[in-house]
Amino acid sequence: MIDAIGPVRLALVVAFSLLGLFFTFVSMTGVIRLPDVYSRAHTASQADTLGAGFTLAAVAIAAGWEGAGFKSLLLVFFIFVTNPTAAHAIARAAFEEGIVPWTEGDERR
Amino acid sequence: MPREVNRVADADEPAPTRGSVVVPVESTPTLRATVTHLVESAADGEFSSIHFVVFATWRRDDPDIADRETSIDRLLERVSTWAEADLADVDGADVDDVEVVTAVVGADEYLFGADDYVRELSAYADEHGAETVVLDPEYTPVGNTTLLQPLEFALSSTDLAVRKAPVTRPSRGERLRKEATGIRFAATFGLSLAFYLALGDPLYWFDLASGVASAAIVAITLSRISLDADPSLSRTPVRLLRGAVYVPVLLFEILKSNLVVARVILDPRLPIDPTLNRIRVIVGSGLPVTTLANSITLTPGTLTVRARDGNLYVHSLIPWAREGLFDGSLERWTRFVFYGREAARLPTPRERDDIGIFQGPDATEEYPGARSDGGTRGEDDPVADGSADDDDAGGVTTE
Repeated sequence: MIDAIGPVRLALVVAFSLLGLFFTFVSMTGVIRLPDVYSRAHTASQADTLGAGFTLAAVAIAAGWEGAGFKSLLLVFFIFVTNPTAAHAIARAAFEEGIVPWTEGDERR
Repeated sequence: MPREVNRVADADEPAPTRGSVVVPVESTPTLRATVTHLVESAADGEFSSIHFVVFATWRRDDPDIADRETSIDRLLERVSTWAEADLADVDGADVDDVEVVTAVVGADEYLFGADDYVRELSAYADEHGAETVVLDPEYTPVGNTTLLQPLEFALSSTDLAVRKAPVTRPSRGERLRKEATGIRFAATFGLSLAFYLALGDPLYWFDLASGVASAAIVAITLSRISLDADPSLSRTPVRLLRGAVYVPVLLFEILKSNLVVARVILDPRLPIDPTLNRIRVIVGSGLPVTTLANSITLTPGTLTVRARDGNLYVHSLIPWAREGLFDGSLERWTRFVFYGREAARLPTPRERDDIGIFQGPDATEEYPGARSDGGTRGEDDPVADGSADDDDAGGVTTE
């Protein structure tokens, strides 16, 4: 692997993968820790956008500009368009169902 | 629904010089479309100035008129925001010098019937050199459901030209299904084919053939939905360029907010303080507001819940994110992408007083919910600013 892409690119790949892992971990923690559907929708979509974004950037660097690298950049774009749309759909559905967002002092639900 | 009584007096002969038009307005489901119709007429060279007027239902010296004045001011503000957004959206030779004016008339005396309204309207028209009156088809001043007919009748005795705006109440189906045009079809087809071939091999005959077939299917089924206006050859490249400037800015914002929010999530000692907020945004409907809403959602800590009546309802996770939202930098960037640098210079939502907080200790407005959870907050009264009842008639939808 080191021979194939050289030490600089390898370092970038490792760094981006770790960043991706970190933000995915944050996203997961948020889903468990936060109190209601709205705040969970925040972290499930947004931290995850960056998590998947960094991971795909690592893939793009590893794969190079040909073929797979270009396609993973398109995937990043796709995620950046669809993730907020999905989060909005969840939040809007919750709002129309009459779910009032949790505020400080409420019970956890 | 609109009665076909369009009394087309002599309104259809285009006047040799562009005149002014007076439009009495109130909050109706068709108001948004009426505004668009007027802006388009003006852009086509029919009018050079549009006067939106509201009849006061009080006298200036009445007690307790502050509330009514506020709601009328909000209505007029909303109308001029819509008109401004439409002006930025339409193409037309004369679009640059269209003047939009809003006014309250009739605050000097009580108005009882159609004749009173017409008298005030004519006086206003005379004063401002207007020769035409355009009526919103659902316009019924002061809740008098039978007035429109007599109003049109009474107007016919003046020398004002009267016509009704050819608009109908929006319905879900109509909002999604726009006209099919050749240009939209070609644009959707071309974009789909380019995307397909970018993934495949443009030189391989099978990819070419299947790409053409797929792009045709996409264009046939989706060209009417995905594009709500013909893409303009002059503006689209500029917008794409400005969008390319915006993307790194947005990425930086996302990264910055993500670190702040990640810290709050990972550190149990840092409390979250989520609230639902309202922000009235000044961007056009369709793609611009979708871009803004998606950017807000992409930025961690803020999540767009609803677009209603020119307002975005945004859920914020921590006060820091809420304050950033009220500073309006994403709104300015969206205006930059779609309308250019000039349009991006505007006061922040906070300075415009276009913001509201629905929850928590800092709440400034009543929670507007669809239904309450039966607990601590107001019942199912969807009043946010006195006009939220025409829910989906507003300027923005995110569908």
